[in-house]
Amino acid sequence: MFLLPAALFLGLFSLFPLVQLVRMAVSDVTAATLNADWLFTGLDNIRRGFETGQTGPAISRTLVFVVVVTVLGMLVGFGAAIALRTTGRWSAWLLALMVFVWALPPVVNGSVWKFLLNDAGLINTVLLSTGLRDTPVPFLYDQHWALFSVAFVNAFAVIPFNTLVFRAALMTIDPEVFEAAQLDGASKWQQIRHIMVPSVRPTTLVLLILTLVYGFRSFDFIYVMTYGGPGTATNTLPFLGYLQAFVRYDYGLGAATSALAVVGVLVLAVVYARSIKREEADG
Amino acid sequence: MNARRTSLIALAAAGALGLAACSGGTSAGGGGGATSGGGGGEGDGVVTVWHYFSDPNQVALMDAYKEKFESENDATVENVYVPYDQMNSKLVSAAGAGTGPDVVVFNGAEAATLALGGVLAPLDEQWAEFADADQFPDSVLHSVDDQLYAVQGYVNLLGLWYNQDILDEIGVEPPTTMDELEDAMAAAKDAGYGGITLSGLPQSQGEWQAYPWISDAGFDYENLDADALGAGFERVRGWVDNGWLTQEAVTWDQTVPFQQFAAGNVAFAQNGNWQIGTAESDADFAYGVVPLPLGDTGQVYLGGEGQGIGAHADDPELAWEYLQGTYLDVEGQELAPDLVGSIPSRADTAEADVVTGNELLDPFAQTIADFGASYPDPVIPPAAVADVQLTVGQAWSAVIGGQKDPQAAADEAVAALQSQIG
Repeated sequence: MFLLPAALFLGLFSLFPLVQLVRMAVSDVTAATLNADWLFTGLDNIRRGFETGQTGPAISRTLVFVVVVTVLGMLVGFGAAIALRTTGRWSAWLLALMVFVWALPPVVNGSVWKFLLNDAGLINTVLLSTGLRDTPVPFLYDQHWALFSVAFVNAFAVIPFNTLVFRAALMTIDPEVFEAAQLDGASKWQQIRHIMVPSVRPTTLVLLILTLVYGFRSFDFIYVMTYGGPGTATNTLPFLGYLQAFVRYDYGLGAATSALAVVGVLVLAVVYARSIKREEADG
Repeated sequence: MNARRTSLIALAAAGALGLAACSGGTSAGGGGGATSGGGGGEGDGVVTVWHYFSDPNQVALMDAYKEKFESENDATVENVYVPYDQMNSKLVSAAGAGTGPDVVVFNGAEAATLALGGVLAPLDEQWAEFADADQFPDSVLHSVDDQLYAVQGYVNLLGLWYNQDILDEIGVEPPTTMDELEDAMAAAKDAGYGGITLSGLPQSQGEWQAYPWISDAGFDYENLDADALGAGFERVRGWVDNGWLTQEAVTWDQTVPFQQFAAGNVAFAQNGNWQIGTAESDADFAYGVVPLPLGDTGQVYLGGEGQGIGAHADDPELAWEYLQGTYLDVEGQELAPDLVGSIPSRADTAEADVVTGNELLDPFAQTIADFGASYPDPVIPPAAVADVQLTVGQAWSAVIGGQKDPQAAADEAVAALQSQIG
C-alpha cells in the first residue's frame, strides 16, 4: 500500500517514457508523423545509425568520456573526502562550497567553465603569464582537448557529491581505530590503504555505479560548452541522440541512439541493484 | 539622402522580391493536419507570441510591437522567450497536445519543419484578403504543399564589417575582392590584430556562415561538387593556419564573434545587419560595412524570422490582426531597421527614410542585389533542410577546428548530402 505512490510515480515518469522510447526507436518517426501513427520499422534506425558512421565513433567517445568522469570523480572525490574528514570551520566552509557547486545548474556551471577555458579565460591567462605556455591551450576547440575538457568539467560537477558520500562513510569509522593505528606507527598512507579504503568499499561500489551512470548521461555540459564540436569531436551517444531527434527531427533515429545509451545505463542499474542487495544482506 | 542609395535599396528590395520562392519548397508529404484557425475558440484578448530573441535590441523590437499593438487595440500581447534550440521541439510537442502560441516568430528556414509538424495554421485565406499583399516579394512568403504558412516582416543577411581605425593604421581600404581581404587580414595580423571573426558552430548557424565562402568556390546544392566544397573549406582553413581567424570560432554562435569584433582588436567580422544596434552601443571605434568580397558564383542567404499563426491559437483572428498591425504594417516595418537594422520586406517601406538614410544598410542592400540567395536553397526538399544544414555545419566546424582535412570533410559531406537531397 505504501509502495503505491512510488510505483505510480515510477510508472508515469520512468517506465512510460522508456516504453515510448523503445517504441520510437523501432519506428519511423519524424516531425510530420510525431503526432500520428508510427510505422514499425524494426531495427532499421539502429542500422541507419551505424551505416552513417556516426554511432560507432559516438560509442567510443562515450566510453572515453565515462572513463575520465569516473576515474576523476572517484579518485578526487575520495581524496577530498579524506582531506575534509576532520570537523572544523574550514572543512564546514569547504563542504558548504561543494554543496553549492553540486547544486549549480549544469548550464550555469558549463557556461562558467566555457568562460574559464577560452583563449582569454583565467586558466589560459595564468598559463601564458607564468610562461608555462607560449600559446593558449585549445581546451574547447581542438578535437582531442575538447573531449577531455568537457569530461573534466563533468567530473568536476560530480566530485562534490562523491566527496560528501565518501566523507559520510569515513565518518562512521571509529576514531579509536585511527588512534590504535597511530600507536602502532602506521603512516597516513597506511591508514588510508588499510583502514579507510576497506571501510568505504561497499560505498565505493554503489558510488562507482552512480558515477558511471552519470557519465553515460553526458549531455548538458557538451550542449553548453562545445555543441558536439569541433565538427563531431564531442558527439557522445546522448548528444548524438539529441542532434538526431531535436535538430534533424528524425525522432526514430534519435530514439534508437538514445536506446543504446539506455542499454549501457540499464546494465549498470542491474549491477547497482545487485550490489545494494548484497550490501543489505551483509549488513 | 543619397539618390543612388535610395534606388539601390529599392532595387535590393525588388531583388528580394524577384528571387525564387524562398524556403519551404513546393512539395512536402504529409502535411501537418493543421486547418485554418484550427483549435480556435473563444478569444481571451491576449496574443501570446513565442520568440527566441535574447539580444537586447531584438527584444526591444518585440517590446515595441507589443506596445504598438496594445495602444491601437483593446488587447494584450504576451511575448514569451523560448531558447532557439528548444523552439521547434516545444512547438511540435505543444501542437501534439492541441495547444501552442497564437503567433510564432521563428527561423524562416525552418518553416517546412513547423508546417509538417502541424504547428502553423495556413494563412491563405487571410493573405488573399490582405490589401497590401502585393507589397511582399515571393522570397519572404513561406509555403509548403502550395499552402502559405508564414510571412517575413524583414530580411536579414551577412556582410563584411570592418574596423576603420585598424584599416587606417595598416593603410588599406575596405576590401572588394578576396585577394584584398586576405592581404588586409595579413597586414592586420602583422600589426598585432586579429583578421576576421565568424561562427564555426557545428549546426545551422555554421552552414549559414559557410555558404558565402563555399558558394564563392563554386559549390551549390544542385551540383554538389565535392572539389568546389573542398576548395571553399581549404581557403577558410588557410585563414586559421595563417593566424587570421582563431580556431576558437568553432565554439562561437553568431553573437560572440561580433562581440569580439566590437571589442576593437579584430579587423573584420562576417556578420549580419541585425548587429547594427549592437555596434552602435558597444563599438568604441569607427566602423563600416561592405558586401562580402565574393566572386561570380558567391551567394549570401536572405534570412530572417518568419511570422505565422499557431495551429492551435486561442484567437486566430486577433493573431492575424497582430501580424497586420506590426510585422506587415508600414509603421511596424519601419521599427525593424531603426531598432535592429533589418531590411523591411515591404517594397514601399524599403524606400522609407529610416532605411535609405542609414549608411550601414546600403552595403546589405547591395548584397541583396548582387549575391542574394533564397534560404534555404529551393533544391533542398523541405524534410531534408535540417539534415543538410547540420551536415554542412558540422563539416565547416570540423575544418575550422582541424578535426578533418578540408577535402576529406568535403567528400564526406557531399556523400551525405547526396542521400539527403537525392
